[in-house]
Amino acid sequence: MQYKSQKIAQNFYTAAVLLFLVQVIVGIVAALQFMWPDFFFLNFNTVRTLHINALVVWLLMGMMGATYYVVPEESETELWSVPLANLQFWATVFAVGLVIIGYIVMGINPQANMQVFGTNLLNEGREYIEAPRWADVLIVISVLLFLFNCVMTVLKTKKFTAVQGVLLGGLTFLALMYLPGMFYTKSMVMDQYWWWWVVHLWVEGSWELIAAALLAFMLHKLLGTDVKVLAKWMYIEVGLVMFTGILGLGHHYYWIGTPKYWLWVGGIFSSLEPIPLLLMVWDAFRTTRETRAPVSNRLGLYLTVSHAIFNFVGAGLWGVVHTLPQVNKWTHGTQVTTAHGHLAFYGAYVLLVVAMIYVTLPSIRGVKEYNQTRGYLSFWWMTISMIFIVITITGAGMVQTYLERLFGLDYVTVKANYNLWFWIFRAIFGAGFLVGVLILVVDYFKLGKEKA
Amino acid sequence: MSNNAAKNLFIYGSLLCFVVLIILTVDTMGTLKDRAPEITEKVDLGKQVWHKYDCIGCHTIFGNGSYFAPDMTKVTERKPLDYLKKFIMNPRAVKPGTAMPVLGISAEEADNLIAFLVWTSKVDTNGWPPKPILALGGNKKESAGEALFRKNDCAACHQINGMGGTAGPDLTHVGSKRPDINWHMRHLKNPQSVVPDSAMPPFEDLTEDELADLAGYLIEFK
Ligand code: HEC
Ligand code: HEC
Ligand code: HEM
Ligand code: HEM
Ligand SMILES: [Fe+2]
Repeated sequence: MQYKSQKIAQNFYTAAVLLFLVQVIVGIVAALQFMWPDFFFLNFNTVRTLHINALVVWLLMGMMGATYYVVPEESETELWSVPLANLQFWATVFAVGLVIIGYIVMGINPQANMQVFGTNLLNEGREYIEAPRWADVLIVISVLLFLFNCVMTVLKTKKFTAVQGVLLGGLTFLALMYLPGMFYTKSMVMDQYWWWWVVHLWVEGSWELIAAALLAFMLHKLLGTDVKVLAKWMYIEVGLVMFTGILGLGHHYYWIGTPKYWLWVGGIFSSLEPIPLLLMVWDAFRTTRETRAPVSNRLGLYLTVSHAIFNFVGAGLWGVVHTLPQVNKWTHGTQVTTAHGHLAFYGAYVLLVVAMIYVTLPSIRGVKEYNQTRGYLSFWWMTISMIFIVITITGAGMVQTYLERLFGLDYVTVKANYNLWFWIFRAIFGAGFLVGVLILVVDYFKLGKEKA
Repeated sequence: MSNNAAKNLFIYGSLLCFVVLIILTVDTMGTLKDRAPEITEKVDLGKQVWHKYDCIGCHTIFGNGSYFAPDMTKVTERKPLDYLKKFIMNPRAVKPGTAMPVLGISAEEADNLIAFLVWTSKVDTNGWPPKPILALGGNKKESAGEALFRKNDCAACHQINGMGGTAGPDLTHVGSKRPDINWHMRHLKNPQSVVPDSAMPPFEDLTEDELADLAGYLIEFK
C-alpha cells in the first residue's frame, strides 16, 4: 500500500463480509420456510427482505471500499479527507442498523409500518427498495459524500485515468438511478415501470460499469499489463454494456401493462447483453496468458478470472435463456427467475467484491505473501454449493413452468407437492454455502496476521 | 480503434441510448391511461395497503416480486370477492394450515385491497398470464353434474385427482367422506347452513334439479 488513507477500505470490507454472513444465514431461514413457514419468529417476507437488502448493502459497501482503495492509487495521492470517509462509513452503518431494526419491528407488528408524511415509516413494501423514504435520503447523502470525497481526490492531482473515470462514472450513474425509486405513484404499472429503472439499470448498467473498471484495475495490479490496452477493451466492454443494457430494460416491460413494442425492444437488445460479458471473460484470459512474470497473488487472479466467468454464466447465459418474450411469457415470475438471480448476483458481484478484497487486502495489511489455502477452500465451498443451488432451483423452475404454466396445475399444489424435494436440496446446499462463507470470514480476519 | 475513439463511442453511445429510452418512456406514459381502468381513490388506498403489509415480500404482481406465493394480478377473476375478503383478513380460519399468515388486516383495508386487485386484473398485460396450452380439454362426453361443476368453476377452489385449486378441500374422495346427497344439496345452496363460517360461496341460482345433478356427481367420488 502506497497511501495511508487507502486503509479506510478495510472498514468497508469488514462490514461487507459480516453482512454477507448475515445474508446467507437468513437465506437459509428463508429456504427452510418453504417447508415450515412458521418455524421462525419472522414471516417469510421479512426474512426475504433482510436477505436481499443485506446482499445489496454489503455489495455496495464492498464497492465503496474498493473505490476508496483505487482512487488514491490511480490519482497517486492521499484521499482528500479521511475523517469524511470515516464519518460516511459510520453514518452508513448507523442508518443500515436503523433500517434493519425497522424491518424486524414491522415483521413482529405490521401495524407499526404506519404512514408518516405520506410514506411508510419502516418499510416501503417494494422489492429490493424496501428501505423507507427517510433512509433513501440518508443513503443518497452518504453516496454523495462518498463521491464528493473521491472527486476531490482526483482533482488534487488531476490524473483522469480511464479506470477511475469509468469507476466514478458508474458510481454517479448508480446514485442517479436510485432516484426513480423515490416517489409514489398511484398506478401499479407506473410503480413497476420506475422500479425497474432502479433494479435493472443498476445490475445491468451502472454496476457492470463498476465491474469492468475494477476488472481492468485488478488485471493491471496483478499482472502489470499495459494500462492502455486494458483501457481500450474496458471502453469497448462498457460501451456494449450500455448499448445493450439500457434498452434491454424492455425485457421487464413485456407484461406489466406497457405497450407491445417493448416486446421487440426488450427482446432484441437484451439478447445482446451477454456479448460484453463474454468479452470480459476473453479479456481476463488474454491478459493472463500474455503475462510472463510470475504472479505472487495467485488467489487474487484466480478470483478475478472466476468473477469474469461466472458473470457471463450467471447473468449472460442464465439471463438470456428466458429473455425472449416467447420464453418469458411462460417462465416470468417462476423459480427460473430465482435461479438466474442467484447465479448472476453471485458471479457478477459477490465474486467481484471477494476478488477485490483478496487483491487489495494483502497490501492494506502490509504483506507480500499470505497463506492462500483457506481462500481457495472458501471459494470452492461457495462456488460448488452455489452451482448446486442453481441447478436445484432451475429444476424447480422447469417443473413449475411445465406443470403450472403449461399444464394448468395450481400454484400451491406444485409448490407443496412436486417441488418439495427441490426445496429440501436447496436448504442442504445452502448449508454448504454457509461453510464457505464462514471460512471466508475467518480468513478475512486472519489474512496477513499469521506466517505465510 | 484508438482509446479515444472507444471512449467517445462509449460516452456518446450511452447518451444516445438514454435519449431513446426517455422518448420511449414518454410515449409509454401516454398510453397507460388507455390500457387500464381509471384509478379511483379506493384503488389508490388499496395499493397503499398492499405496500403497508409488504405483500410483495411473498407474492408476485404482474409477475414481479417474490416467488413464495401465487401471483395476484388476476386473482379476482377466478375467486369471488367475498371469499377473497375473508381469506385476506384471516387466512388461517378459511384454510387451516395455509402458509399465509394472519397479518391483522381490517375489513376496510381488505375492501380497498380488493378494489386494487380488481383494478390490476383489468390492466392490459399483453396476454399474461397465458392460458395453459397443455391443459386437458373436456372432449369426452360430460354428465350433467360434471358440466355444472365445470360451468360454476368449482375447480377454482377444489381439486379432483390433482387438478384444480387448493382454497377448499380436495374432493377426490368426497363421496366416501360425505355420502349424503341431501347434505350436498343444502351445502351447495348455502354452505353456512351446514358448515358454520364456511368461506365457500353460496350457489343460490342453481335449480333443485341442477343441485341434485351436481350433488349426485360429487358423491360418486369414493
Ligand atoms: C408471509 C408471506 C405472505 C404475505 C406477507 C402475504 N401472503 Fe398472501 N399468500 C401467501 C401464501 C403462501 C398463499 C397461498 C396460500 C395457500 O393457498 O395455502 C397466499 C394466498 C393469498 C391469496 C389467495 C390466493 C388464492 O388464489 O386463493 C390472496 C388473495 C392473498 N394471499 C393476498 C395477500 C395480500 C393482499 C397480502 C398483503 C396484504 C398478502 N397476501 C401477504 C403468503 C403471503
Ligand atoms: C371460492 C372458493 C370455493 C368455490 C368456488 C367452491 N368452493 Fe366448495 N368449498 C370451499 C371451502 C372454503 C370449503 C370448506 C368449507 C365448507 O366445507 O363449506 C368448501 C367445501 C366444499 C365441500 C365439502 C368438502 C368436504 O370435504 O367437507 C364440497 C363438497 C364442495 N365445497 C363442493 C363445491 C362445488 C360443487 C363447487 C362448485 C359449484 C364449489 N365447492 C365451489 C370453497 C369453494
Ligand atoms: C449482473 C447482472 C445481472 C443480475 C445481478 C441480474 C439479476 C436479476 C434478478 C435478481 C432478477 C429478478 C428480479 C426480481 O426479483 O423480480 C432478474 C430478472 C431478470 N433478468 Fe437478470 N440479472 C443480470 C443480468 C441479466 C442479463 C444479462 C439478462 C439477459 C440477457 C437478464 C435477464 C433477466 C430477465 C429476462 C429477468 C426477468 C425474469 C422474469 O421474467 O421473471 N439478466 N435478474
Ligand atoms: C451469495 C449468495 C446469494 C445471493 C447472491 C443471493 C441472492 C438472492 C436474491 C437476489 C434473491 C431475490 C430474488 C429472487 O428471488 O430471485 C434471493 C432470494 C432468496 N434466496 Fe438468496 N442469495 C444467496 C444465497 C442464498 C442461500 C445460501 C440461500 C439458502 C439456501 C438462499 C435462499 C434464498 C431464498 C429462499 C430466496 C427467496 C426466493 C423466492 O422468493 O422464491 N440464498 N437471493
Ligand atoms: Fe434486467
